Amino acid sequence: MKNNRIIIHTLLFIFIMNSSIGVTSADNIYDEKIYEGDGYQINNYFIEVSDIMLFSGDLALEVTIYQLKPDGSYEELTTSTTVSENKRRFKYQSGSVEITVNEKNLTSQYTIVDITTAGIVIEYETAVDGGVSNAKYIGEPSLILTKEVDKTNVEIGDIIRVTIKAKNTGNGIAKRISIDSGITPGFTFKSNIYTTYPTELGIGSSFTQMFIYEIQAADGGTFSLNPATATYSSSVFDDEYSSTSNRPSVTVAAEAVETSVLDLKVTADETKIKRGDTITFTIHVQNLKDVPASTIRIDPIIPGNMTYISGSEDVNIISEKPVIQESVYGARYEKDYTITLKADEIGSNELIVKLTYDNGTGIVSKKEISSGTFIIEEGEFDYLAEYPLYIYVTPILIVVAIAGWLYWRRNQFRM
Amino acid sequence: MLNVLIVGVGQCGNRILDSINREAFGGGKFSKYYSRQKFPSQVETIAINTAINDLKELRNTKAKDRIHIPNLHGLGANRLLGKQCFIDNKDMVLRNISERGDFDVAFVISSSSGGTGSSFSPPLIKELKNRYDYPVYSIMVLPFREEGTIYLQNSAFCLKEMRDSGTDGIILADNQFLKNVGGDIQTAYDGINKMIAERVLFLLEALDSEMMMVTDLGDFKTVMAGGAGFATIGFAKGDGNTPIKNVIHDSLSPNGLLFSSNVYEEGSRAMIILRGDRKHLNIDDISSEIEKLSSHIGHVFKGVIIRNGEAPKVLSVLTLETTSELDNLYTLAVEAIHMERDKRGRMAIRKEANATFSKIDGLEPEY
Repeated sequence: MKNNRIIIHTLLFIFIMNSSIGVTSADNIYDEKIYEGDGYQINNYFIEVSDIMLFSGDLALEVTIYQLKPDGSYEELTTSTTVSENKRRFKYQSGSVEITVNEKNLTSQYTIVDITTAGIVIEYETAVDGGVSNAKYIGEPSLILTKEVDKTNVEIGDIIRVTIKAKNTGNGIAKRISIDSGITPGFTFKSNIYTTYPTELGIGSSFTQMFIYEIQAADGGTFSLNPATATYSSSVFDDEYSSTSNRPSVTVAAEAVETSVLDLKVTADETKIKRGDTITFTIHVQNLKDVPASTIRIDPIIPGNMTYISGSEDVNIISEKPVIQESVYGARYEKDYTITLKADEIGSNELIVKLTYDNGTGIVSKKEISSGTFIIEEGEFDYLAEYPLYIYVTPILIVVAIAGWLYWRRNQFRM
Repeated sequence: MLNVLIVGVGQCGNRILDSINREAFGGGKFSKYYSRQKFPSQVETIAINTAINDLKELRNTKAKDRIHIPNLHGLGANRLLGKQCFIDNKDMVLRNISERGDFDVAFVISSSSGGTGSSFSPPLIKELKNRYDYPVYSIMVLPFREEGTIYLQNSAFCLKEMRDSGTDGIILADNQFLKNVGGDIQTAYDGINKMIAERVLFLLEALDSEMMMVTDLGDFKTVMAGGAGFATIGFAKGDGNTPIKNVIHDSLSPNGLLFSSNVYEEGSRAMIILRGDRKHLNIDDISSEIEKLSSHIGHVFKGVIIRNGEAPKVLSVLTLETTSELDNLYTLAVEAIHMERDKRGRMAIRKEANATFSKIDGLEPEY
């Protein structure tokens, strides 16, 4: 359209003027060119320049006013037409609603009309190329509101930033938008970061940042933040609307109760041993806190192909298994224990050590750690075991026989 | 096969007996662990001693063959004490011997100079002769002349008592004569013991072997019955290139004999046994040398043992009509007896000194 920009500016001006005047007065909305077949939409009314025809040697203007329907159809409204000084006037009137189109100038291609309305709060108006079939029904607005938090796991005293965004997915303009951020119990409002949100969102708008504020976690627990609420309206239907946001979940760690924490480490003196050799593990236990731990029990889980040989004096054998038991581990106390195992079979192994203790609050804490993998290789003389038994028995018997003979013979000559 | 009894009495007799046992095992230090004794005869050995430590030192004589005369730790070369000790223990000794069975011949080896050997062996032989009818020979080792007066007088009396014991012969071995073995004292004694042991074993073999030319126990008895009752043994070994007559001659020479003697002048009867490969045993050489000896001393028995591949060895057993070396020994012994008597006289003077000291018995010094 040739004059679209001009028309929009003009309409905007007219709209502002009309808004300031009120809905009951007649508003002069448009007095620009409208070409034949085009039209002008005001809310859900459409004024179409239907025809410019030659009648008795003069040009005659034909204007039709339609009522747009939600289902995309439209209904032609009954208008009255009057002619004065060879200029035509078309008027629609129904109750307090009144639309008047006054012809100001007419050419064979376009007309300049002066449109005035009364009884209408104009929410939407625009020139439309192509007539009523291209007009768009103006419906109700619908806002989708989101509430986002910058962190979901916090501790008491932490600050959480909340961002509220909105998007109009309706087919009507949301106007006079008001946001209620929705403070949640358990949190203390700290400050607003961004509050200058738009009061109006057009049809098909993308998510728009509406509100940013910060709250401080005051209590422990998992909270679903109260939703933000947006209230808005549409003058087309003269209704109030509201939308609520989602409820993001925030977990606030309860204030930590001071407990004992035992650190457990296991180290081996070798990473590679031969079958039949021994390996010694050092189990280091340390209380990292100032709170004593009690009822400490350490269970080294001996691998199946190893044999327990010895341990430090604190290692007791209970049910044929080594166990370390201590009644109390004072604040920051640390201690080393050793156990020595013998490798019975080749392969890779690890020593698992389990630790249980009362952390000072009556709660039993558990910990488990591995020594890391160590390798048991074939022993120096393992290859001998691959020979059949008689290979060993025969020479042993011979040696025993010789030794026995020598012993017996020697005793024959001893006095 | 002959049944032979060899008795070693006293430290010297024990050690020679142990050496005989060792040689019978093969001569090696550990031979007894893997070898059996290769006596040509059925031999029983018995070691008798009053000193337990001497018996314990034996390495090749079985414990069951050692008889300790209890309650004594040696006799300290005191023959009087030894003879009484034998009388006290002879039943035990003789019972042990009788338990060994019957014998065809017995040898009693001892020193003439020490305590146990010199005092036990004459009465032991006397008892054996009284009880059994087999010949009993004494192998008696004479002392180094410088070993002392007691040993010399012991030897003199021992030899006399031995001759009177009824023994069938005394085979003399003289340490003084054999001391040219050389080396340290232990090596010298071991060498002498081994030398005697080799000769005894060769003698046993000569008495109990199938030989080309036979000598036997009867011949030995005849030889030992000759002379004045004393005998010695000679031994020599050739290297294969040495003519057999030289080997025979060497066995009769002072280097081959256990006791210093001029056999051609002092000998009475002889038995010569030759052993080795037949190629080394030239009969003409043998005969000429035997004839030479017999022309001087009378009868000579000879025996030949054939051992293929073996160098020639000769053992000679000679009985003596007279022996100048024994005369020399007795001369020294008489001097020794006088010397001991003088000592005893000096001891009597010391007793007078003791009487002098007794004058102040019961008195106390006054100050």
